[in-house]
Amino acid sequence: MKKFTHSDKTITQREIMIAIPSVMIGVGVLSMPKDLAADTKAGDGWLPIVGIGVLILFVIWFITRFVARFPGQQFIEYAALIVSKPVAVIMTLVWAGIFIPLTSIQIREIANMSKEYLLPETPIEIIALTFFLVVIYAVSGTRVGLFRLNMLFFPIITLIVLVVFVFNLNFFSISHLQPLFKTSFTGFIKGAGSSIRSYIGFGILWFYLAYVEEPKQTPKLAVIGTIISIVIYVLLFVFCIAVYGNSSTANLLYPTIELAKSVEIPGEFFERFESVFFVIWIMAIFNTTSLTFDVSVFALTSVFTNTSKLKVIFVLAPVVYFIAMLPQELPEISVFEMVMSYTVISYTILVMFVLTVMAKIREVKGNG
Amino acid sequence: MDIKSFFKRNKKQAKRQENIPAVLSKKLPHNLSNLRRLLEDPEDLVVREFTIYGTSRQCAIAYMDGLTNEKLVQDNVIKNIQLLANKGSLPDETNALMEMIHREMMSVTGIEKVSTWDDVSNSLLYGHAIFYLDGFSTALAIDAQLWEIRSIEEPDSETVIRGPRDSFIEDLHTNLARLRRYIRDPNLRYKTYQIGRRSKKNLVVAYVDGIVHPDLFKEINRRLESIDMDDAPESGFVEQWIEDSFLSLFPQVINTERPDKASAALMEGKVVLILDGTPFVLIAPATLGNALQSPEDYYERWTIGSLIRVLRYIAAFIAVFLPALYVALVSFHQGMIPSKLAFSIAATREGVPFPAFIEALLMVSTMEMLREAGARLPTTIGQTIGIVGGIVIGEAAVQAGIVSPIMVVVVALNAIASFSIPSYSFSIALRILVYIMMFAAALFGIYGIILCYIMINIHVVNLTSIGVAYSSPFAPMFFQDFNDLILRVPIPLINRRPKYMQTEDEKSADQGGA
Repeated sequence: MKKFTHSDKTITQREIMIAIPSVMIGVGVLSMPKDLAADTKAGDGWLPIVGIGVLILFVIWFITRFVARFPGQQFIEYAALIVSKPVAVIMTLVWAGIFIPLTSIQIREIANMSKEYLLPETPIEIIALTFFLVVIYAVSGTRVGLFRLNMLFFPIITLIVLVVFVFNLNFFSISHLQPLFKTSFTGFIKGAGSSIRSYIGFGILWFYLAYVEEPKQTPKLAVIGTIISIVIYVLLFVFCIAVYGNSSTANLLYPTIELAKSVEIPGEFFERFESVFFVIWIMAIFNTTSLTFDVSVFALTSVFTNTSKLKVIFVLAPVVYFIAMLPQELPEISVFEMVMSYTVISYTILVMFVLTVMAKIREVKGNG
Repeated sequence: MDIKSFFKRNKKQAKRQENIPAVLSKKLPHNLSNLRRLLEDPEDLVVREFTIYGTSRQCAIAYMDGLTNEKLVQDNVIKNIQLLANKGSLPDETNALMEMIHREMMSVTGIEKVSTWDDVSNSLLYGHAIFYLDGFSTALAIDAQLWEIRSIEEPDSETVIRGPRDSFIEDLHTNLARLRRYIRDPNLRYKTYQIGRRSKKNLVVAYVDGIVHPDLFKEINRRLESIDMDDAPESGFVEQWIEDSFLSLFPQVINTERPDKASAALMEGKVVLILDGTPFVLIAPATLGNALQSPEDYYERWTIGSLIRVLRYIAAFIAVFLPALYVALVSFHQGMIPSKLAFSIAATREGVPFPAFIEALLMVSTMEMLREAGARLPTTIGQTIGIVGGIVIGEAAVQAGIVSPIMVVVVALNAIASFSIPSYSFSIALRILVYIMMFAAALFGIYGIILCYIMINIHVVNLTSIGVAYSSPFAPMFFQDFNDLILRVPIPLINRRPKYMQTEDEKSADQGGA
């Protein structure tokens, strides 16, 4: 007889599958079509999205396969096996150091956008604080709880995206997407650079796979999760271009939200659909933020094993909030965001290379 | 409880019975006087002394008036001993005599031997008649319980249009028999606990062996064994003692008056707790989805059942969000209201002196008070409340310019929505959430509402009920359980027990229509 298990600490593979798009889809998507449209011509931007997406897909597949060799072990444990304890500790601390500012950025951007779309008169500090307090509440709960939240929110997020698509079909004009493949090579490279910023965050896999029930099954579902995000991204981009055209999209601050703006609910039940869309999108951003914040907490608790999780959270919280409030103007924030995105993605891949190469050299097989 | 008070309590109890020995004595007069002293000779203690026919052997019967079947004691015990004894020769030896009385003369179904005063007082207060024989230090406790019980009526708290008109009542034995009549499976088990240091009420844990997960059953038993209180007048006391989180707003145990609901829960691998003295039995564990289910969903055809389920989910959202949305839209996001509606709202709010939040708070609170007043008052006066409430909420408040008509619509809709939640305890939880939501909306508009909603979700995913995730089967997701969650698929397709219960026997039917 199996033990009565479902409230314990294990994460199901399906939850990992949902966690990947949950952590990827966040603030970045709202402005992603803008940068891509600026880099590429007409509707060509989908190509870098798919290209980078497929690359990321392989990386994710590789990471999940690799971590599956160490079932039930946390990052610091299997990293210590491969590259010795001190290096593993440093690696873990760098993770925390990366995910803390990443959390801050999410908080800052959501505060900015909320101020713009919902609460023009409330100070940004207060908006950010309330959101952050909710994130802290979530992270103080069980870790499995975060994944269950993803599971609860993701269908709602997908639904609202679908609604936006369906109601924009009227304005969809194929001619905006043509001519195809007129973008120069450098344009595609630039586009790849912009689109990679929408795929960050899957570094959480290094940490959470320790909790997965059957690690052997995960790679397949992780790949499906990645495909979900690729599909959503491509559709969002294509719709933005098809509705607004390339040049207008490139000049809109948040093209995705503008896409929601053109939605008119039949029956005139309520107006300003973009506010509704953004409100639902807060859930998506919440998912991202809670996972990134939890990883920083996770990384620190796995280094400082004697400190309780709550203590770490309360020490980290002011730091995160302070960093979030640091940049003053919009350009500063976007530069900050860009730097962080590239750092995260490069570090995730760096860790992958170091660990696999060292595992080969030192012949660490793992026990999975 | 610390050690000191523990000893104190023991001392007190000892003091009350300091002159009573632990075991019965051989002398009848001694025993009877001890019995009287034990209870301080109350009005309802009946002691009948008599001699066995043709001998000078003294014996006595004691019972509590109103708890014991006097006719049974008279016809099947006293009469037999007085009259039948002349049929043959009686043994002189006391042991043999007692054995003969026990075996041959008492025509009752249940007899137990008792020899300590503790047992005597327990059986006596349970309604047993105690038979003493002079010269013998063991008494017989005769099972002759009989007291007035209410007849079985339709359950008041959960009415259905179609379905059994059957209900649990206050009597434990009747309730156990009700449940047996629903489930004739020999694996239906009853395990008895005594709850209440002083009230000593029986609590029966019912479960179907072979369906329920053993760990779940063990966990419930562990919690029940930890119960320590003087009295449990209602199953609510037990519920609050064994629930996982007393800080949560949500009920983590279901209560029901309906045997059909209880038996259905047993079939799903849940555990039913039946407490003596209350018609409300407890079903554990519970999940969020259970709060929005009614037995009738299954009795009507699946299309109707599904439709009503969906309606309930919508109602639950309206019950929580509507007043808050009104506050948020009117005070923060006027632009989101369609312009025509916005104009009419603005026009009706013209003379209203309060901000939307105060207006909503006022009306929602009035509604709560009305609801409470209606529930507590006798039915005859209750109707008056309805009329007064109708006038106050509907007409006068608007005409006096205190609230706007649209607010009245909002509150009325909100009330209707919360009335359509089948579980009363769950709908109370939603009523509290309304206030939290309104505060959030007053401070941050719909931004506040969504953050509040996220917080509720955080709370729910962290909540468990006897170890079962409260948010299952939504998350952790058990896709198969969705056939009986928001929709209710045709009965032949429901051929598996809920996955989230991890039952031992997963199939409830070998082949469905699928």
